[in-house]
Amino acid sequence: MNAWEVLVQQTINGLTRGAVFALIALGYTMVYGIIELINFAHGDVFMLGLFISLSWFTLLGVTKTLTGWQLLTILPLVFILTMLTTAALNVAIDRVAYRPLRRSTRLAPLITAIGVSFMLENLALLWKGPAPIAYPDVFPSVDILREWFGVDSAIFVTTKDVLVVGATIPLMIALNYFVTRTRWGKAMRATAQDRETAQAMGINVERTILLTFFVGGALAGAAGLIQGIYYNIGMWWMGYQAGLRAFTAAVLGGIGNMPGAALGGLFIGFLSAWSDQYISARWTNAIVFSILILVLVFRPQGLLGARSADKV
Amino acid sequence: MTPALRWAALVAALLAYPFVDRALGLQTVHAVSDGMIYVLLALGLNIVVGYAGLLDLGYAAFFAIGAYAMGLLNSPVLGSPLYGYPWSFWVCIWIAAAVSALLGTAIGAPTLRVRGDYLAIITLGFGEIIPVAIRNLGDITLDIGGWRPIERLNLTGGENGVNPIGRPHLPGVPFETDPVPWYFLILVIGALSIWAMTRLHDSRLGRAWMAIREDETAADCTGVNPISTKLLAFALGASFSGFAGSVYAAKLQAITPGAFEFQVSIMLLCMVVLGGAGSIKGVILGGMLITIFDRVALAQMTFFVRWVGRATGVQALAAADVTLWRWFFFGLGLVLVMLLKPEGLAGRRVRPIAPADDDLDSPRIEEAPRRAAALPAWLLDQARRGAAPDPILEVRGLARRFGGVVALADVDLVVPRGAVIGLIGPNGAGKTTFFNVVTGLIPPDEGRIAFAGASIVGLRPNAIVARGIARTFQSIRLFPQMTVLENVLVGEHCRLRASVPGAVLRPASVVAEEARARERARELLAFIGLDGKAQDLARNLPYGDQRRLEIARALASEPRLLLLDEPTAGMNPRETENLTTLIGSLRRELELAILLIEHDMEVVMGISDRITVLDYGVRIAEGTPAEIQRHSKVIEAYLGTGYEREPHA
Repeated sequence: MNAWEVLVQQTINGLTRGAVFALIALGYTMVYGIIELINFAHGDVFMLGLFISLSWFTLLGVTKTLTGWQLLTILPLVFILTMLTTAALNVAIDRVAYRPLRRSTRLAPLITAIGVSFMLENLALLWKGPAPIAYPDVFPSVDILREWFGVDSAIFVTTKDVLVVGATIPLMIALNYFVTRTRWGKAMRATAQDRETAQAMGINVERTILLTFFVGGALAGAAGLIQGIYYNIGMWWMGYQAGLRAFTAAVLGGIGNMPGAALGGLFIGFLSAWSDQYISARWTNAIVFSILILVLVFRPQGLLGARSADKV
Repeated sequence: MTPALRWAALVAALLAYPFVDRALGLQTVHAVSDGMIYVLLALGLNIVVGYAGLLDLGYAAFFAIGAYAMGLLNSPVLGSPLYGYPWSFWVCIWIAAAVSALLGTAIGAPTLRVRGDYLAIITLGFGEIIPVAIRNLGDITLDIGGWRPIERLNLTGGENGVNPIGRPHLPGVPFETDPVPWYFLILVIGALSIWAMTRLHDSRLGRAWMAIREDETAADCTGVNPISTKLLAFALGASFSGFAGSVYAAKLQAITPGAFEFQVSIMLLCMVVLGGAGSIKGVILGGMLITIFDRVALAQMTFFVRWVGRATGVQALAAADVTLWRWFFFGLGLVLVMLLKPEGLAGRRVRPIAPADDDLDSPRIEEAPRRAAALPAWLLDQARRGAAPDPILEVRGLARRFGGVVALADVDLVVPRGAVIGLIGPNGAGKTTFFNVVTGLIPPDEGRIAFAGASIVGLRPNAIVARGIARTFQSIRLFPQMTVLENVLVGEHCRLRASVPGAVLRPASVVAEEARARERARELLAFIGLDGKAQDLARNLPYGDQRRLEIARALASEPRLLLLDEPTAGMNPRETENLTTLIGSLRRELELAILLIEHDMEVVMGISDRITVLDYGVRIAEGTPAEIQRHSKVIEAYLGTGYEREPHA
């Protein structure tokens, strides 16, 4: 591999990583936009999404690579089932741990969110054990350049890379349509801007918040499934780190800003892949967190957000 | 039992404990000492979270810095060229605290512009970076195109940590073999720390921390510098964890980066939140409960569950290990405490205030005017000392835009010495924006603001208070969870001088200053008619009293110009009358200049010397009350066109 091929390969890796971060970041940014809560447990919903999707595959009797028509039936079915499960989980978390604190100080639900995060991680540890678990290779992995195009290149692009991008983009388009073009999306945007006025206009605010958690949880579940299929491995502690990176992505894009979260996710994906390659994988976390800190300190509205004044 | 007796019993129990333990052969001294280190850490965190209200999710980083400072200076074996010969424990412990405090300040400095949950995430980020750095600095190779100026440098011991670390040496004290000296060492450090923390809490600095916690903007506008106050919270909180970390390192004889992960920060936060943020007793209680739970209860529960499993023949229970549920229980604990008892087991009730229910259902108790006391003599003294310059405030060409909205455009306003100037205008005219610009909350886009002849543009609000401008807010912004007296004392903050060592050691000068401050605050409360309520929480006062307390707090900063933003809003006629009399006497007796935003025309016309009228950010009129009442533009602004000249038939 020459230097250029390394760069291209790491950029492709970054793209797939970033797509997963983007899906998680959207859940952070939507919840923050609507109730100004850093939903610390969101990364763990992503982690559980991976394990839950594994359970759905097992329930449906899938242990080997899917072929032919199965890819068009079972795979979408597991996507939907996983997303529904994690969506319900996310809504339940909100009901139990955040909703009673809606009128409380802002730090109170953040503390409960941390508590929920620890509970979920511990449950996953008890469920799957401390060692990393193998995720079955359900999606066929084909070396596209070589096998389809006959190009002999050091760069390695597989059908799995295509799946990650091919699943993420439709989800984002659907989300964008939902938020900008539907009644519920309009209610969501109105509630995010001013909860009280939205309520006065006849919007059921609690139901809108519920919907936000539902959609965010569904996206985290999809991200978990994609992660499992792509990397074939799952750890009980992966949610904490993925969550923090995704949160960094959301902050980078301007928290509350959905296109910003998607772009931020991609950026963090590229950055972590490049850092692994060109600096050292053991410093990548420190680099991502340094960026988080720098953005929060010097440009808290994010790279895309607009500055809002403090009310006096 | 009298308090003295209770104290004696506590001290006796603490002193006797290790000997009782030895006599009974319990061998718990080691575990108890370790638990005490964590309690000490939680107490340090309490300064940041409980006193100053800054959620710190990376506190273990300071613990790590303290421990590594001790480890690096005091380890005989570390392979780095920088170290390698052990220093004395008794020197290292101070260095560790100082390094922690320094890093607390360095880490705190850039983050303090950020508020609330963002600050929490930043501390978490630092908490993640420090262990990563410690791990990676155990093997540094700098490779610049084949040139390696640094190769395989071991600065921190890396993943293996530092081992061994030197113990303290005292002639005749067996730190090497016996846990009891450690117990007493930690007990002494803990007792000194609690003593210092208690004194800090009841000091000028302690009040400033609480004011920041309650309402940072209001604290800034009352003369408290939020930046330095928060930095001191970080620095002092970090220095206590520096002590704890260095003792921990020396006691354990070995440290690894794994001992300072996120989970440790969260466990410490659990201790603080469970016991009650802000309460030393609560945090000690929370720390003890969690340590016992972690070290004793979980293991015992495992035995119990297994016994139940064997007795009932349930295989799953017989093989269960409850200790694996450790973090589940910590998480559950955080959730349950926040949901059921957010003030903690021993904390003072710190609940957010419900939005004021404008007393529609409960008729407000009509209070007779109780202003009996005269103006405090010290305020009069201050007023007579040196004549204020004239004019006291001169604003020229002030402009401020928010995006496309012009809030203020080319506004001129002069407040002569000892005058009452009214500032009126329809809603949205820019009056409060004008106040916010003058008090430094919002920078102006253009224009000059001269106070007592010197420009104050670009100064922070607290610096402007120190120069002599005090204000009240349109929507009352007291420190709701502090007492009435404490609210006024925060007002005096910028006139007091006690430093951090002063607050802890309390030399005669600080004791005298504090006594004088309290005396002055009581006189002010008597003057304003709030004597007898000094120990009430500000949030429990009726509405009219809250308004007056806000004025008392402003007066406590010894202003030469007082900015009142709709002081009579929401008051009944009697309260309004009282307040008008009060403003009159301030101006008459103190020659205090007052700038007043007011919607009650009777009040504003009655007490103002001159009035400035704003409309859509533009000054449309200026003159005496009589002139303003006849001014056509003013009538137009308030009533619209077509009314200014009734056609006489």
